[in-house]
Amino acid sequence: MVSLIIQRRTWNVNNFMENKIKEERIKLNMTQEELAARAGVRRETIVFLEQGKYNPSLRLAYGVALALGTTIDKLFVFDK
Amino acid sequence: MTLKNYQRVKIALTIILALVISQSLVFKNYLIPIALMVASALVLIFLRRRVSEVIADERDYMVGGKAALLTIQIYGWVATIAMLIFYGLRDYNSAYQPIGLVLAFSTCILLLLYSLFFRYYHRVSLADKKYLYTALVLLLFLVFMAFALRVFSGEDNWLCQNGEWVKHGQPDYPAPNVECK
Repeated sequence: MVSLIIQRRTWNVNNFMENKIKEERIKLNMTQEELAARAGVRRETIVFLEQGKYNPSLRLAYGVALALGTTIDKLFVFDK
Repeated sequence: MTLKNYQRVKIALTIILALVISQSLVFKNYLIPIALMVASALVLIFLRRRVSEVIADERDYMVGGKAALLTIQIYGWVATIAMLIFYGLRDYNSAYQPIGLVLAFSTCILLLLYSLFFRYYHRVSLADKKYLYTALVLLLFLVFMAFALRVFSGEDNWLCQNGEWVKHGQPDYPAPNVECK
């Protein structure tokens, strides 16, 4: 039972989505500051997003996708 | 105003507040730090509106929420255990009882506030702050009323009579340490 709880918790916390934000940003020759300003967040949030250490809200995912001229489904990879 | 300048002002105000509060405790003047705290809060609110950059975003709020929850959990456990120890040792030192009571009441208020806000955010939209502010003002009013009634009611406290502290009712804390004139 305890191991089941630990497994579920580990899955919930560490299951970050992969994304192609860095590739798309570099393609557009855009800095992290510029992307952060366009998406309405701080630069640190973009750093965490690019490193795959943060799952954004739907609103932020949409904002980042819009700033990079792409769509959410092309930018984020949902791995079950 | 840039974010860096705003943060510099914030740090400077914090240092000034710390200095003024420490000095006011020495000189027993409590009005100046309260006035300064209110003024600092107003200055920061005014400056915050002038910052064009993003001060905090959704990740900051998420981290803040997690840190707050963990803080409440740790404080709840530590304060409860400390309260039980202080209350258990109250016969050894009469000062332990008020310390235990303060810890017990502060934990109760903290958990009560947490429960209220948790229920509030479960029911109401996170963006709707009008009801939140109203509830907060009402809650603060109730807390201050309870505090004022307890402190200024004149019941169960120590009275200064003929240069000596005399029990009035059944105060649950020892006589004040200050001289009775």
